[in-house]
Amino acid sequence: MKKIPDYVKNMAITAVILCLSFGFSLLLQYVFEVHEHITTVFVFAVFLISLLTRGYAYGILSSFAGMIAVNYAFTFPYFAFNFTVPVNVTSAIIMIVISVLTSALTTKLKLHEMMKAESEKERMRANLLRAVSHDLRTPLTTIYGASTTLLEHGETMTAEHRNNVILGIKEDSEWLVRMVENLLSITRIDSGTVKIIKTPTVLEELVDSVLLKFKKRYDAQEVMIDIPDDVVIIPMDAILIEQVIVNILENAVQHAAGMTELSLRVFTLGKQAIFEIQDNGCGIPQERMNALFTGYYKQNETVSDGQTRSAGIGLSVCATIIKAHGGDIKAENLKAGGAVFRFTLDTEDVELDEQ
Amino acid sequence: MTNNKFKILLVEDETNIQNFVAALLETSGYQVIRAESCMTAQTLYSSYLPDLVILDLGLPDKDGMVFLEYVRKNSLTPILVLSARSMERDKVAALDNGANDYVTKPFSAAELLARVRSLLRISRFTAHEDRGLDGRFSIDELLIDYDARQVFIKGEEIKLTQTEFNIVAFLAENAGKMMTYSAIIKAVWGGCAQEGSIKKLQVNMANIRKKFGATPGTVNYITNELGVGYRMNS
Repeated sequence: MKKIPDYVKNMAITAVILCLSFGFSLLLQYVFEVHEHITTVFVFAVFLISLLTRGYAYGILSSFAGMIAVNYAFTFPYFAFNFTVPVNVTSAIIMIVISVLTSALTTKLKLHEMMKAESEKERMRANLLRAVSHDLRTPLTTIYGASTTLLEHGETMTAEHRNNVILGIKEDSEWLVRMVENLLSITRIDSGTVKIIKTPTVLEELVDSVLLKFKKRYDAQEVMIDIPDDVVIIPMDAILIEQVIVNILENAVQHAAGMTELSLRVFTLGKQAIFEIQDNGCGIPQERMNALFTGYYKQNETVSDGQTRSAGIGLSVCATIIKAHGGDIKAENLKAGGAVFRFTLDTEDVELDEQ
Repeated sequence: MTNNKFKILLVEDETNIQNFVAALLETSGYQVIRAESCMTAQTLYSSYLPDLVILDLGLPDKDGMVFLEYVRKNSLTPILVLSARSMERDKVAALDNGANDYVTKPFSAAELLARVRSLLRISRFTAHEDRGLDGRFSIDELLIDYDARQVFIKGEEIKLTQTEFNIVAFLAENAGKMMTYSAIIKAVWGGCAQEGSIKKLQVNMANIRKKFGATPGTVNYITNELGVGYRMNS
């Protein structure tokens, strides 16, 4: 879709409405022989224009145009200017006043809407911040507590104890790393002014990179892969899409209780690549379905144990990233049990002249 | 200073990172020289002539790139860059300016040590000869015969096209070093990297991986770094 400049759109609206009302007035005047409502037609036109365009200029401009049209064409003497008749002047003034008032009103309305959207965004951000800072406290407690323990009592601990404490530090800092990666991804998109930069990425390389990353964290979890044999090239911000897939896989590992199989399937359909991440775990609880991608966090204080806490922001980060790529993301439960996450991205042609 | 340990110049301004990296390297048998800024790094570099430089790009006085260029002006000392995530462009710029490899922060002890070892190994090789003994190159079960232009895995010949062989050969000559797209394109096709030629490279790589029998997610001879380039593992 091409972006039409604002003023062109506004001018077009103004011109179309004025022409229509002029034509309608001609119709009234010469076909139906009604004269007294012509001013009303133009007043209505001015009202519409002020409503549909931005700022005051178009409304006022059209009220002048309307006044001239009415004066010239539709009031006695026809097709000649006459400013001596008080009725003409009155209708002109009325049109201008209406246009100014309407414009003021619509401008105010638009401003109000913008502020509402802005405050909604602000609210989301505050929610996210609250969720994140709540989430950060737990791993920080572990890391801080464990390291001071080691410093002060490291010598007297058994090797096994010491190892456990160090393992805690490692695991919780890994969790922090993931959280920060998610936050970085959000800011990379959310800052608004920064558009994502898409570079052509080979699907196979993406999957390779995703799996290496995922295996580093969950060595024991097998992921079945099914991707096309042909080279598929998808323009994307690879770091962000990588994050999406890792987040969804991770979500399955953490929440799909009883899962034995996890798979990543990618296939192309027309110009689109469809990514499917499927598990055979417990499925997604109905009450979570609605806010799966939008709610940053379940306001539930009991979920601060290691297993469930990164329910936090992962999936909403996925949604934000896919939306920014112009794709679509959905999740559904399977009849046979388990859940499937599906998202789409546009592909690019692979055309090559050999050598 | 009369020991035969490898000397590593660690340029990092964060004290905590510096401490643990230095501790890690020292317990692994390297001698560590520390610098907190670009200026001290330059002085220490010319007085110690280290075997390897570990360089953080974000330094307080100057950009780490300044130091990188300073070193590359008259030496081939391997340089390992420490960089933050999501800065592909910085990574590519550092690699194109002569850095040998990079590690993304945060990194584990194993990752860092593996890179350090492989960089030191290469610089030892390349100091003596270009292509290993008798024009051959081998890692694990991969063998490249440069003169016959043949590649073998587990003794079986892998049929590669001319272009594919050139890519593999180039990566092998620079084994252990992360090669950016533009570096490979320049070496294989000549000229500079455009979007089209990167695509050509990626498609060739896809074929090479297939012929090498690589499956996604398993470590193979060639590692791909999204948006940056490829590395022949050493």
